[in-house]
Amino acid sequence: MKKLLLAVLALSLFGLTSAQTLTYARSGLPVTLDSSDSTDGNSLTVSYQIVENLVQYELGSTELAPGLATEWSANEDSTQWTFNLREGVAFHDGTPFNAEAVKFNLDRWNDPASEYHFADGGKTYTAWGWVFGGPVGEGVLESVEVVDEYTVQLNMTGPVGLVPSMVAASYFGLDSPTAVMEAGAAYGTPGVGAVGTGPFTFAEWVEGERVTLEANADYWNGAPGIATLIFRGISDPTARLAELQAGSVDIAVDLGPDDLSVVEDDPNLVRVPGPSLNIGYLALHQANTPLEDVRVRQAIAHAIDWEAIVDAFYGELGEVATQHIPRAFDWARAGDDSVAGYEYDPERAQELLAEAGFADGFESELWYMPVSRPYFPNPEPIAAAMATYLADIGINVELATEDWGVYLDNYDTGKYPMYMLGWSPDYGDPDNYLYTFFGPSALDSLGWDDPAVIDLLNQAREVTGQDARGDLYSQVNQAVYDQVAQLPVAHNSVLYAANTRVQNWTPSPLGSTEQLFLITVEE
Amino acid sequence: MSTYVFRRLLGLVPVLFGISLLVFSIVRMVPGDPAQIMLGQRATPEALERLRETLHLNDPLFFNTQAVAEGGSPLDLFDSQYFNFVGDVMRGNLGTSIFSLIPVRDSLSRRFPATLELTLIAMLFALLVGIPAGVVAALRRGTMLDTAVMIGAVSGVSFPVFWLAIILIYIFAVNLQWLPPSGRLDASTQFDPITGLYVLDGFLRLRFDVVWDALRHLILPAIALGSIPLAIVVRMTRSSMLEVLSQDYVRTANAKGLARSIVVNKHALRNALLPVVTVIGLSFGSLLSGAILTETVFSWPGIGRWVYDAIAARDYPIIQGGVLFVAFIFVIVNLLVDLSYALIDPRIQYS
Repeated sequence: MKKLLLAVLALSLFGLTSAQTLTYARSGLPVTLDSSDSTDGNSLTVSYQIVENLVQYELGSTELAPGLATEWSANEDSTQWTFNLREGVAFHDGTPFNAEAVKFNLDRWNDPASEYHFADGGKTYTAWGWVFGGPVGEGVLESVEVVDEYTVQLNMTGPVGLVPSMVAASYFGLDSPTAVMEAGAAYGTPGVGAVGTGPFTFAEWVEGERVTLEANADYWNGAPGIATLIFRGISDPTARLAELQAGSVDIAVDLGPDDLSVVEDDPNLVRVPGPSLNIGYLALHQANTPLEDVRVRQAIAHAIDWEAIVDAFYGELGEVATQHIPRAFDWARAGDDSVAGYEYDPERAQELLAEAGFADGFESELWYMPVSRPYFPNPEPIAAAMATYLADIGINVELATEDWGVYLDNYDTGKYPMYMLGWSPDYGDPDNYLYTFFGPSALDSLGWDDPAVIDLLNQAREVTGQDARGDLYSQVNQAVYDQVAQLPVAHNSVLYAANTRVQNWTPSPLGSTEQLFLITVEE
Repeated sequence: MSTYVFRRLLGLVPVLFGISLLVFSIVRMVPGDPAQIMLGQRATPEALERLRETLHLNDPLFFNTQAVAEGGSPLDLFDSQYFNFVGDVMRGNLGTSIFSLIPVRDSLSRRFPATLELTLIAMLFALLVGIPAGVVAALRRGTMLDTAVMIGAVSGVSFPVFWLAIILIYIFAVNLQWLPPSGRLDASTQFDPITGLYVLDGFLRLRFDVVWDALRHLILPAIALGSIPLAIVVRMTRSSMLEVLSQDYVRTANAKGLARSIVVNKHALRNALLPVVTVIGLSFGSLLSGAILTETVFSWPGIGRWVYDAIAARDYPIIQGGVLFVAFIFVIVNLLVDLSYALIDPRIQYS
């Protein structure tokens, strides 16, 4: 008996993992595997391996690429979009992938009257609201037509130039109609999982412990390089890094800036560039005197040493943000000569304040969030640092925070004169940033209303073509800069790390749209 | 005895009703609601309202006077969020999570055994180490050994649990790599649990690799979590033992010439343990319902962290179901502790 136990002990110590298993540790397990009903990266990264979108991204880039649709085109005024579908693809349960399947999914998300909407069962499809503006009647998708077995047509309520980007968002993975009809509102829960056309099939979800996916050998884009993909959720970053160091997970993501030196010093680990398309900013709400005076806002912009802050709190992982869209969208940024950020110049700041009539400064509040965000990993010390710079020119701010849920409730009410916030994109287009910050909601979130800017943003949604849109957006960025509508702080590159045995991993700059099937694991 | 037990169990009903009312009300008094959390920064007033309708957050809370006024039956007065919730609970339906749509009961049946197992092993650690330490400290009172044990006990209570947890992980998992840093089992272990207590299930299924795997994963969190009751058990045992040792019957036993070990183990210890049992019961209750910090650091899939996250997300069904369940367990544990007095001390009888 003792020998048996010893033998078992020895075997388990060596580990019974096959060389073809990849273990991926994130900050948590999925909330649901129904991509259309989820909003967090932990859920979407997993579901993106199982279900696929009409449109995907080029590896490691924000450029669109064919997915389950091979081609797409719009009519002249972009009110009708036609997608040609990939032939010969089937869902994991055998259901054929075709235009009917696409219509089934789009209808179930867009139409509350659809039999498969399951709002009564608790489905909310909040992401559909964000991207498409709402369900039919409120949003921009009017109807979906099956033209023939492999052609589907989306009829919009007006000109919308962004449709391919919109359907590429990770929320809109196409699920097997058979599976959805059978599972009902339970589709996406641990007992059911998800059924798609993707490189991995759902095997098991042990709630709180792990999600196990298995390779789909018949995947249309080539069989995955690994046989089994296991996701683990480890909420504590120290423990997550510890697992990576111990070798029991192969990939760990969402590590902190302080972990970079640990990763670099460990010969078994390698840093992998993570998504950096988020942005952290300092908002100045103009309903609070004296922030409605552009000179005061300019003063604040020049009073803070943005480079020093990013250097101190982000280290190698952060980049000073000079405009409200990351450099990946170069084509939409205003020329860097005119918008090179706000120079650190406390004297000029004081002059501007004096001009505005506040030579002795004034008092205000600076709100920061109580939770770590991808764009502000440590909000409190960053807020404290900014407050110190402001105090130097006579602006005395009281630091404040409240519960994150309440924070999100309050920031667009004008209650916070200055507040920190940020953004991670839903889809890879400048619209997702600029329209969100400076569109119609800017009146609530910034107390700022510039009809010219809103007009530009609306136009950019309707036209197609990077040149035309890029021109419009660079005008928006210029206006935002000139009027100091909001102060961009940093783009944070989330720290991703892997064991050296992991090969061919190129994370997606957008986050959850990862193509993990290309990874191989060396023994 | 059985009437006593029955009466105690009957007392559960008003307790649970009261708690259900309290948790239902309190969680809705906190600013923010699940709709706001779900939509986050992308919340427009229209989207918020629409989502609140879908989630039935605007339905009447306690009394549905509107339904009655519109010509419904008097029973419609109780078609409200609270009474629907109570009715569901009585039918065994604890609701479904607003965010994940997973039935609360399913999550509980997975997560409660995880917390239970951790708590049991932590308690075991506290007792196996604490009681002998307390006895030794009492027997060697005033010596260096006594002082050392007491310092150890005070440290146990003073160290923050999450700090101790991280230190343990750092030393034993990262540096020495003797033990795993988190989770209940290795990611690659394929296993079908029965009760959810993996050590027990491993034996039941004759999977000794699983037993070993589960134990390896339990050691560090159990030590971290057990450090709190350990300290209390040591102090309690020591002082209780000292008091018992000064009793007349102990002096009699010694005078009779009985061996020291028999005096201690057979006569003194049993009586000294009574206060310790009380402490165990109280600690057990708080360990079960809490362990949030330990569960967070070790990514232990228990109920503590689950309910805590639900509070931040305003996931009402989880909060309500989870708190109710914990209250239920607490009452049962206290009942068991009270009943165990009768076992330990024959003088105690319940009627």
